[in-house]
Amino acid sequence: MLSIKDLCVSIGEKEILRGINLEIKPGETHAIMGPNGSGKSTLASVLAGRETFTVTGGSATFMGKELFSLTPEERARMGFFLGFQYPVEIPGLTIVNFMKAAINEQRKYKNLPALTSGEFLKMMREKMAFVEMDPSFVGRGVNVGFSGGEKKRNEIFQMAMLEPTLAILDETDSGLDVDALRVVAQGVNKLKTKENAFVVITHYQRLLDYIVPDIVHVLYKGQIIKTAGKDLAVEVETKGYDHLINEQ
Amino acid sequence: MKEYTYMPEVRRVFRCTVPDENIRQVFLVDGILQEEENEKNGITLKRGPEEKGLYMRVQGDHFAETIQIISVRSEDLPRPLEFTNEWELDPGAGIQIIVCDHTLNEHLYRTSRFSKISLGENARLDILFMQNEHIRSRYWLDLIANLGQGAQLDCHVLSLYGGIINNKLRAVMNHPGAVCRMDGLYLADGEQHIQYDIAVDHNAPDCYSRQLFKGILDNHSRGSFNGAIKVAQGAQKTEAYQANHNLLLNNEAKVTTKPQLEIYADDVKCSHGASIGRLDEMGLFYLRSRGISLDQAKMLQQLAFVEDVLAGIRTQAIRERLEKMVESRLRGEFKKCSNCTMHCC
Repeated sequence: MLSIKDLCVSIGEKEILRGINLEIKPGETHAIMGPNGSGKSTLASVLAGRETFTVTGGSATFMGKELFSLTPEERARMGFFLGFQYPVEIPGLTIVNFMKAAINEQRKYKNLPALTSGEFLKMMREKMAFVEMDPSFVGRGVNVGFSGGEKKRNEIFQMAMLEPTLAILDETDSGLDVDALRVVAQGVNKLKTKENAFVVITHYQRLLDYIVPDIVHVLYKGQIIKTAGKDLAVEVETKGYDHLINEQ
Repeated sequence: MKEYTYMPEVRRVFRCTVPDENIRQVFLVDGILQEEENEKNGITLKRGPEEKGLYMRVQGDHFAETIQIISVRSEDLPRPLEFTNEWELDPGAGIQIIVCDHTLNEHLYRTSRFSKISLGENARLDILFMQNEHIRSRYWLDLIANLGQGAQLDCHVLSLYGGIINNKLRAVMNHPGAVCRMDGLYLADGEQHIQYDIAVDHNAPDCYSRQLFKGILDNHSRGSFNGAIKVAQGAQKTEAYQANHNLLLNNEAKVTTKPQLEIYADDVKCSHGASIGRLDEMGLFYLRSRGISLDQAKMLQQLAFVEDVLAGIRTQAIRERLEKMVESRLRGEFKKCSNCTMHCC
């Protein structure tokens, strides 16, 4: 589904990712862990198409296409989803208008007719209930005045609406209380199928108690220094990153 | 759709689709009122000075009613035209007015529209100016409003299209308890120039005023905003707020903004602010990451930017209609049918 080979990424003169190799197959859940500044968010952003980063080497294919030749919107329509670490506030744009535009673009790409207002609102209601989001949020500005937890819940809501093939959740757990964490995790677990894949970027093992990964990667200074099963997350939690870094 | 056939000289371009069927329409063609002096349910309508423009007097509360004044220029050999429209509301009277200014062809029209508003005690007027002419037109609006005690004025100005648009708006509050809200939206591209000069005079205590003006400028267009609030000595407990925000879509468009506040009283709440900015890159990326194209993302951001100005328009049906018009204007579709606002989309 997603295959990354020797990916090198810079911002300005600064090299952030230095040869990433990653293979994600349908049905898998990956966790990417690592200390601050290791390049986790950069990896997520560059895969989603953020233009502030420059790909200086390597390649990535997504659903058989060269990922870096696609615009962010093309990637999204093909089923790529990024759950933002810091969801953006857009005053004046309601969630309903935002999602209507997104869903209709996606349907157009799939050669499906646009949803009627009734169909769309029904879908909105179902998905909002799914992430336990207050229906009054529909008419509010995107992320405007939302608490940290509400913003992350909104990301999961959007994910539920768009039903992506590959979702990367960038520190969706940071700043969440236990209840919000449970909702986020439940959202992911319920959306998980044999056909899609999830990548969870996190600092802590806590989220991984709820979303059990098949494969855990530890990223350090722009390289994946260790890949193993779910026990690696426990190892990180108990022993810290230093011990893995010293193993190098 | 309702058609107006009683005006053969007004071309069929006015198949106006303002959604409310009950809106009374009044035509001004080249500054001449197209109906005889009349009085209906306390609303008196007649020609203004020198047989040009209009004079409207409102008695009684008609605030649930809307009168649409469609003011067009259509002469083939245009000369500069100047006329005055006057609205006089008796104490306690109320009405909503929409003034739509159009040109029916692409001649070089210069039109100066003086507007006088006088509101009696506790009178309420909601007036909306829709300015939609064409790239060679020269549009002047010079409005002065006097507010009586406890009177309430809502004034919205939407500058959609015109070569040079110059709006001079002045509200004078000489009596306590008056409320004045002025909103404006200007959308400019190509070589358009749009200028706003706003003055709000607080000469009496306990009055409230609020201004919100927003502009989006593209290509080589120019915008200018001068807004002055003056709070006289003795105008205590005044609340006066002013905001002007501008969005520049490229590096060539230019806007100057000059918010001014002069306060001679010592117990007031006042603020003013202005900003000039660009579309938010992070916001665009966020929208695109959900599958929305770059063009559509830019459009959504622009519509989001003007949302609070349009939200001030009271009647839902008219507000929705104007939202669509602003959207089609932002999409650049107005150049194709620049003669008429009401017949597009």
